[in-house]
Amino acid sequence: MTGSLAGMALILPQVEGLPHVVEPTIVWVAVAYFVVVTAIGAWATRQTRTAGDFFAAGKGIGLVALTLSVMSATLSGFAFIGGPGLVYSIGLGAMFIILPAALTNAMGAWVLAKRLRLMAEIRRTLTLPDVIGARYRSPLAQGLAGVSILIAVIGYMATNILALGLVIDAVFGIGLAWGIWLGMGITMAYAVGGGIVAGIYTDVFQGSLMAVASVLVFLFTLQAGGGLGGISTTILQGDPGFLGPWGHLTPIAALSFFFVFGMGSLGQPHVVHKFFMLRDPLKLRWYPLLTTTALIVSMLLYFGVGVAVKSLELQGELAPLANPDDATPLFLLGYTPLILAALVFSGVAAAIMSTVNSFMNIGAAAMMHDIPVSLGRRVGNELLWGRICTVIISVAAALLAQHSGMLVALLGVFGWGLFASTLVPAVAIGMNWEGATRAGAVASIGTGLGITLVFETFAFFGFYSFPVGVTVSGLSLVLSILVFFAVSHLTRDTADSTLDPDIRVVMKA
Amino acid sequence: MKGAALLAIVGSALLIGVAYASAFLPRGTPGWAPWLFVAGMSVMMVSTMALGAARDGRIGRLWIPFAGVLVILLGGFGLVLALPPADPTDPALWFGLPPRAAIVLYGIGFLPFLLVPVGYAVTFHQQTLGPGDLERIRDEALAARGDMPLASPVGTPPGRSPGATDRAPADGTRREGGS
Repeated sequence: MTGSLAGMALILPQVEGLPHVVEPTIVWVAVAYFVVVTAIGAWATRQTRTAGDFFAAGKGIGLVALTLSVMSATLSGFAFIGGPGLVYSIGLGAMFIILPAALTNAMGAWVLAKRLRLMAEIRRTLTLPDVIGARYRSPLAQGLAGVSILIAVIGYMATNILALGLVIDAVFGIGLAWGIWLGMGITMAYAVGGGIVAGIYTDVFQGSLMAVASVLVFLFTLQAGGGLGGISTTILQGDPGFLGPWGHLTPIAALSFFFVFGMGSLGQPHVVHKFFMLRDPLKLRWYPLLTTTALIVSMLLYFGVGVAVKSLELQGELAPLANPDDATPLFLLGYTPLILAALVFSGVAAAIMSTVNSFMNIGAAAMMHDIPVSLGRRVGNELLWGRICTVIISVAAALLAQHSGMLVALLGVFGWGLFASTLVPAVAIGMNWEGATRAGAVASIGTGLGITLVFETFAFFGFYSFPVGVTVSGLSLVLSILVFFAVSHLTRDTADSTLDPDIRVVMKA
Repeated sequence: MKGAALLAIVGSALLIGVAYASAFLPRGTPGWAPWLFVAGMSVMMVSTMALGAARDGRIGRLWIPFAGVLVILLGGFGLVLALPPADPTDPALWFGLPPRAAIVLYGIGFLPFLLVPVGYAVTFHQQTLGPGDLERIRDEALAARGDMPLASPVGTPPGRSPGATDRAPADGTRREGGS
C-alpha cells in the first residue's frame, strides 16, 4: 500500500459514483436542510462587516460553537462515506485514521490553542501563516506556508466538491455537473456573504445533525449485525484478518496512519484556525473534553457501518460491494427507516459543505493576505478582496472537480500530509521552543512541500512508490521535523534575533 | 522539562525515521521496525503534549495523565504486537471484540479520553490560563514591544484609528533582517 490510501479513499466516490437514492422523503429533508443553511448564511452576512469578522469571526464565538465547528470541519464527508467504505475494505486498519482522536484535541489545546488565541489578541493574527510570519519575523516563511495551504486547499476543495456533487446527484438525480454547481453555489453563497461567521453557525447546525445521525445509525448497525459480539463472531469465521489489530494493513502502514493523523492534526489550518476566534479564552478549559466527546460520537457510524456491512456480506445477506463507498448508502436504504437515511444523506452533504466552507475561508486568506504580505504588498479593502478571492477559489475548484479528471484525485491526495509536514514543525514546535530559527522554519516548510509534491506525484503516475507501509505523508512529516531541529541547531546563533519580545511573552505564557 | 521534551521529540523522530528506512531494506521491513515505530510515535505524542503544557518549565500534576497515556500507548501497542491472533473457531471476545481489536479500540482509542481531556480541564487554571492571566500577558506583551511601529490592523475599517492594542502590524511581521 502506498502512502495515499486515506487520500484515495476520500476520492473513491468520484470515480465510482454513488447509488441513486431519489425518494420523496430524502429529497424533502435535503431541501429543508438547504433552506436552513441558506437562512443561516443570510443572517451571518448581516453580521459580517470587517475582514476580522470575515476571517476570524471577530474573535466572538462561544465554546459550543467552537466545539461543533471544529468537529464539523475535521470530519468531512469521509467520515460518513469514504471511512465506512475503508473499514469495509481493509478492516480494523482503517480505524487508525480516527484512533488518535482521544489525544489530538487536548494536544492541540496544550500546544496551540492558548498561544494562537493570545497571538490574535496581541498581534491581531488571522491565519497560521500570519503566526509563522510573526514568530520568525519572516515574510518568506509566511509566503511559503501560504503557498502550501493554497495548494492543499484547492486540492481538498476540488475533491470535496466532487463528492458533494455526487451526493446531491444521488439524492436529487440531477446529474453530476448540476450537483457540483448546486452544492458549490449554496456553499459559496453563504461563504462569500458571511465568511467564517456563516461557516461557524452552519457548522453548529451541521455538527448537531451529524452527531445525532451517527448515534442512531450505530444503533441500527448493532441491531442488523446481532450486536457487536455477533458481528465479530461472523467476521472472525469468514475473514479473521479483518478484525486483526491492523486489519488487512501491515503494522507500519496502520501505525503510519496513527502518526500522521495524530501529530498531523496540529497542522490542519481549517481546524486550528478556529482557535483565533474564541471570545473568552478561559472557556478553552472545556474545549478538549467537549470536542473529543463530539468526535467520538460522530465516528460511531464510521466503525459501525463498516463492520456491519462486512458481517452482512459474510452472512450472505448482502452481495460483495463492487464499490466500497456504497457501504453507507446500501446500509441506510436496507436497514434503517427512510427518515434516518434522509437525515444521514443531509448529514453527509452537511459535513462536506462545512469542510469546503472552512477551506474557502483559509484559501482566500492565503491568496489575498498571506502571499501578498510575503511579497511586500497589501490589498486595500481586505473584506471585499476576501469575498472576491473566495469566489475565485471556489469557481476554480469546481471547474477542476468537473473537468480535470484524474488530476483532481492527485490534488486530493496532497491535503492532510501537506498541511502536516509544512505546518507542524514551524507552528506547533516553533511556538513552544524559543531556540527555533527562521532558517529552520523555512527549511522544514520547504522539505515538507518538496517531498510531498514530488513523491505523491511519482506514486500517482506510477513512476516510483515507497515500499509497502511507508507513507509519503508520514515520511515527509518526520523528515520535516528532523530538518527543523537540525537547521535550527546549525543556525542557533540567530534564534534570539528572530524572536520579538512580545512573541516571547506569548510563548512563555 | 522543555529541554527534555525537545530531546525526546528529536529522539523519537529518529526512531520513526529508522523504522521507515528499514522498509527500504532488500528483505523488506524487519520484525523490530513496528516496535521502533511504536516507541517513537508514543514518545513523540506525549513529549509534544508536555512541551505545550510546560509552564515555567514545569508540568505539575500533568505528569500523571502524561505517564498514563505513555503506558497506554506503549503497553497497548506492545500487547497487540506480542499477543497471538484470535482463534476463529472459538473466539474469546472482550466487550464484543477479539482481544487485540479490543485493546486497539477500547484501550488505545478510548482510555486516553479519560485521562487527557480531563487532565486538561482539571489543571487548566494552574497550568494553562487562570483568571487575570490574559490581562497580565497582554500587558506584558504590550510593554515588551513598546517601541514597535504603529500600523493599521487587519479588519480595521478605513478611517478608524487603531487603539492601544492595535500597535503591531496586522501580519505580525516587521522585517526579514536581524533585530
